[in-house]
Amino acid sequence: MNLGRVSNEEKLELCRKYYRGGFALLPFLWLVNVLWFFREAFVVQPYGEQQQIRTYVRRSALGLGLWGVALGLWVGLFQSQRQSWGALGDYLAFTLPLGTP
Amino acid sequence: MITFMNNSDSEEEPCNERTSLMSAESPPVPSYQDGLQASQAGEAQAHRKRRTGSSRSPNNIADGETSDSGVPVREGILENEEEELTLKYGAKHVIMLFVPVTLCMIVVVATIKSVRFYTEKNGQLIYTPFTEDTPSVGQRLLNSVLNTIIMISVIVVMTVFLVLLYKYRCYKFIHGWLILSSLMLLFLFTYIYLGEVLKTYNVAMDYPTLILVIWNFGAVGMICIHWKGPLQLQQAYLIMISALMALVFIKYLPEWSAWVILGAISIYDLMAVLCPKGPLRMLVETAQERNEPIFPALIYSSAMIWTVGMAKPDTAARRSSQQAWDAAEDGRENHRSPSHADSQMSERRSPVPTRPITSFEELEEEERGVKLGLGDFIFYSVLVGKAAATASGDWNTTLACFVAILIGLCLTLLLLAVFKKALPALPISITFGLIFYFSTDNLVRPFMDTLASHQLYI
Repeated sequence: MNLGRVSNEEKLELCRKYYRGGFALLPFLWLVNVLWFFREAFVVQPYGEQQQIRTYVRRSALGLGLWGVALGLWVGLFQSQRQSWGALGDYLAFTLPLGTP
Repeated sequence: MITFMNNSDSEEEPCNERTSLMSAESPPVPSYQDGLQASQAGEAQAHRKRRTGSSRSPNNIADGETSDSGVPVREGILENEEEELTLKYGAKHVIMLFVPVTLCMIVVVATIKSVRFYTEKNGQLIYTPFTEDTPSVGQRLLNSVLNTIIMISVIVVMTVFLVLLYKYRCYKFIHGWLILSSLMLLFLFTYIYLGEVLKTYNVAMDYPTLILVIWNFGAVGMICIHWKGPLQLQQAYLIMISALMALVFIKYLPEWSAWVILGAISIYDLMAVLCPKGPLRMLVETAQERNEPIFPALIYSSAMIWTVGMAKPDTAARRSSQQAWDAAEDGRENHRSPSHADSQMSERRSPVPTRPITSFEELEEEERGVKLGLGDFIFYSVLVGKAAATASGDWNTTLACFVAILIGLCLTLLLLAVFKKALPALPISITFGLIFYFSTDNLVRPFMDTLASHQLYI
């Protein structure tokens, strides 16, 4: 879909829907929102709805950052501590690497 | 719901492809006011997913309608310009299709070469019940031909079923089917793929992260394909699901059956698209009569076409045309019917240059897009993937097949520019691919090996 050919109200509506959709454990959706609407929010000449689009993009970026930090911490924790967790580590693991650690 | 045969867990989908390359020139003259109908490509999906796309060239319609006696000279000049435009856009669109087809093939070949799962024999689909582990060559050949017959008849039945559904306006059923298919592709197949890739690279992964990743990938994919999303992301998702589907085919089709099926399906595609009573053709014509857009998520389109915001009496048509061009990219979806598992993919390839509606007040710049059905992607990738998996010539054969398919694609697009109606994308490419595969594997490779072993450089 080409943003250049959509009306401003539709852009705002789309941005808002993407923002709200990201709350369903979808940080990827927030990432798409930020990347897709970044130009619309910060680069293009200002228009009526741009202020609201900016807030949505900012909030999406904030949510994305929080998710990124949380995910990074969890993955780091898991990868380094998995062996010391014993049975819980195996239970949580989807694939286990073969061979000696 | 899903029936399994041995350990197979995938369904095959028959793919039908239609490519229609329509060149749409934006008429600067107000009398060429038939863009609405011209820019709509109807696509219907066959039972498994068949999409036929055809768009009538606005020129065809325009030729019959315009009779501007007052501007004969301008028409002549316009025609020349339009012809030039056709050619210019044609070349650009060829490149625009090369990139996704190449990407899909690269993904498939890379996976085949690195992940052993997709080259291991782990049972067959129920669509190919005859085994190829037979004592004699004749028996094996017979079994593969029988497998092909079964597969193609399943595809035909699916297509006819889809055409009937479309004719009798059972849209909800079709949409539900499409959504179910893409759900399965995006979630189940991605899960399997990710698991195998992680096992190959010996990486530990935990369930919470995995569930989050798959959920994100799948949900955003559904949104992008079936609703609205950035064009590049849509294209990327379509390429990815085509690659996943092709990998499933490569894994579960036995050797000889795969080659015979490839040949048979290109013949079927040719007939279904070009014969007057072919199901795909009827599908496209029905869609065009109704001025409806094709179902989303079955066609890859390289550009978005937007209609100019002029007062349209038929808002439905406008909405549908937007939808058609917006969601032009389709993915192949595995479709499982509730009662029996059989997935067929039908893809139609229809390069459709769409023309925005021009109004008297505004003249919008055309954005021409070329559409290719996902089935085309899938079968091209199946051919190249099989070549990579089973050829003894290794990269020689793979590259030869790759080049052959691209040449076929080029020729098909050229024919589209000439004929200006929906054309099947499979026959030429698959024929070239098969010729190149067998000749490279059996003629070129021993030749190159002998040259190399005797240190002769030519």
